[in-house]
Amino acid sequence: MSEPTAAESVPQFSLPGLEPGPEPAAVVARRGRRKVSATLIVGAAVVVLVVLAALVSFFWTPYDPVKAFPVDRLQGSSAAHLMGTDRYGRDVFSGILYGARITLMVGLISVGIALVIGTPLGILAGMRGGFTEEATMRGADILLAFPALLVAIMFGAVFGASTTTAMVAIGIGSIPGFARVARSGTLQVMSTEYVLAARASSQNSFRIARRHVLPNIAGMVVVQCSVTFALAVLAEAALSFLGLGTPPPVPSWGRMLQESQQFLGTFPMLAVWPGAAIAVAVLGFNLLGDGLRDKFDPKLNGER
Amino acid sequence: MRRTKHYRLAAAVLLAAAMSLTACSAGSSGGSEAKSAGKTSLTVALTGPPTNLDFTRTAGAAIPQALMSNVYEGLVKIDQDGRIQPSLAESWTLSDDRKTYTFKLHPGVTFSNGEAFTADDVKFSLERVKTGWVSSLKTKMDVVDSIDVLSDSEVEVKLSRPSNAWLFDMGTPVGAMFDPSGVQDLANKPVGTGPFTVESWKPGEAIAMTARDKYWGQAPKVKTLTLRYFADATATTNALRSGDVDVVYNMQAPELLPTFESDKSFQILDGTSNGKVELTMNNKVAPFNDVRVRRAVMYAIDRKAVLDTAWSGHGTLVGAPVPPTDPYYEDLNGVYPHDPGKAKALLKEAGAENLKITFTVPTRPYATAVSQIVVSELADVGIDATIETAEFPAVWLDKVFTKHDYQMSVILAVESRDLLTAFNNPNYYIGYDNSKIKDLAQTADAADEAGYVEGMKKVVRTITDDAAVDVLFLFPNLIVAKADVTGLPKNSVTEALDLTAAGWK
Repeated sequence: MSEPTAAESVPQFSLPGLEPGPEPAAVVARRGRRKVSATLIVGAAVVVLVVLAALVSFFWTPYDPVKAFPVDRLQGSSAAHLMGTDRYGRDVFSGILYGARITLMVGLISVGIALVIGTPLGILAGMRGGFTEEATMRGADILLAFPALLVAIMFGAVFGASTTTAMVAIGIGSIPGFARVARSGTLQVMSTEYVLAARASSQNSFRIARRHVLPNIAGMVVVQCSVTFALAVLAEAALSFLGLGTPPPVPSWGRMLQESQQFLGTFPMLAVWPGAAIAVAVLGFNLLGDGLRDKFDPKLNGER
Repeated sequence: MRRTKHYRLAAAVLLAAAMSLTACSAGSSGGSEAKSAGKTSLTVALTGPPTNLDFTRTAGAAIPQALMSNVYEGLVKIDQDGRIQPSLAESWTLSDDRKTYTFKLHPGVTFSNGEAFTADDVKFSLERVKTGWVSSLKTKMDVVDSIDVLSDSEVEVKLSRPSNAWLFDMGTPVGAMFDPSGVQDLANKPVGTGPFTVESWKPGEAIAMTARDKYWGQAPKVKTLTLRYFADATATTNALRSGDVDVVYNMQAPELLPTFESDKSFQILDGTSNGKVELTMNNKVAPFNDVRVRRAVMYAIDRKAVLDTAWSGHGTLVGAPVPPTDPYYEDLNGVYPHDPGKAKALLKEAGAENLKITFTVPTRPYATAVSQIVVSELADVGIDATIETAEFPAVWLDKVFTKHDYQMSVILAVESRDLLTAFNNPNYYIGYDNSKIKDLAQTADAADEAGYVEGMKKVVRTITDDAAVDVLFLFPNLIVAKADVTGLPKNSVTEALDLTAAGWK
């Protein structure tokens, strides 16, 4: 986790002998670039695209994504059906739009669960230390050792497969990540002089957490949200693929992928569309996360 | 920091690449051109492995599928058209009161452990069904009153009442012949009179059989026969393409067929089976306790569209829970044509407009495929069906089959001639009120053959008129094999997969 140096990020200018001075142009260039981070812009654009698709699906889809039109089944792309139709004659484009809604909902709720439970636990652990910290963090370790997907499969088996069980399971599986990030951030903040000052002036812990800790770790938590969102999207797709996510006939990208499995040899595009949708959405949230990290990470802040 | 970012980017790109790659790679490798001359082994791919080899104590179709006909034989056997043919019994006579069968046994038959097959073994085997079996199939022998050994080669079976169904059942697993000294370890070491013996069994993986030297009948065409079990349909067809197996039997993914249809090195057999894909409605629970609502469902569903979309058009439309290989089959597709208008009118009459129901769907490929088109067609007539998935077999069997806690479900019923098991029993999970068919069925079973067929047809028509169940289509028995494999049983009439005639051109 060493901090990147100018040499690492722009190696072609940093070869010994080519650089005349200790303040290379590359550093200046990088500072400039960070302000308009391409990663952030591309990531945000993709995420906006997914959000737009989901919003549009509330008002309009070219066809009813659930209704079967057996006569029009298994058509290729055309003006009438942008991405063709599936085995039931349902419009794939409509399904992709509607699926974005499910994808976003699962991402939001599961990240929400992890955020609301994980962050306070992490702050508590970081501020209290001692037994509280040990108990919380070892608990997080145990949860982390248990694959989130397995938790989700177990939930699906016990409570029946549905979007809700998938969201809750993914949310629970993502708690440790938030707890860890919040704790490590809190530990850093707690060692600063202004927190010492606040404690010396006998402010209560809750006030310190709210006034000093939370604002300082917010950036890290936001980054964690974005990264977890990407994982949640992938997890939902995986669960739906296994038949443990959103039940049919509500369109979900993972299930669309699964349903097209048998048609790979004959109608490969059926798998390509939902596959691409998942890949693009995951990429978008990851890029957004990385872009935000560049902006918020306290380690990088110092360099600016 | 940088490093993780690159990893994640690379992973995302890889994911996208992998998704598009898998989309293109399937179906590109060609089938292997087999040199078939003098081949003495055959490998068949199946899905759903048996848990042990004893079908007398373990339910499920996988065990008799592998062993009946190949390892075990009965006094009679059922041919590809569903007719009863002699097997271990050369011939038989039926008394005038239609209650006593006298079987004349084939001479020179031995079990694979060397013991001779005699009338005593018949008595032992049939009595063992009542005493030693723990399968639900054992009730099929309840009608047997007594078994008398007349000589080594003659045996007489007295029934408590005339029964046409019984002789057919003798050609199914309950009629299998066992040797008293060979039943100690049936779960691992089956001993039968059939042309093959089990050489080795790797649980969950494969059963290897070898041809016996001293088989009484026509010797099988191959010396070794291997049944290999795969996780899913895609795995079986991949194994066929790579040459690991020669035959894929009862292929469960008709969407994969087009890639084989265009390839001359493969053949496709599209036969019939006993598998009825049934849209079941709980006849005892609202709203389906009203015959008008059930009829509305029958009119609402376009079974042709269901077959075309869910199973790529492979299968047979029958209109009643009877496959064409049953003697009392008749085409009842015309009883409920697709007529959404009539369905709506019936629902209105029953006061069941804007109906909301729960549709419990087992986690099987056919069920998931069927459920979505059914939901769409029910929506067209104003029935809002919510799909609830139930893990199969455990959850579905417990909830739907045992506790009858469901409104609508869909299931593949594979048992042969199970019409009366399913409908002449109000405590069955379908809950059909059998008062109208009870006497009809009893009279038919005791009548002569013509009377049996006529009587059973009446039973079927009554069940259909009451819309007890919506039989969506009859499952196809799809076989994909290398082009030079011969003698494969096209139709699946009983549980058995009879490979005694299979060989190479």
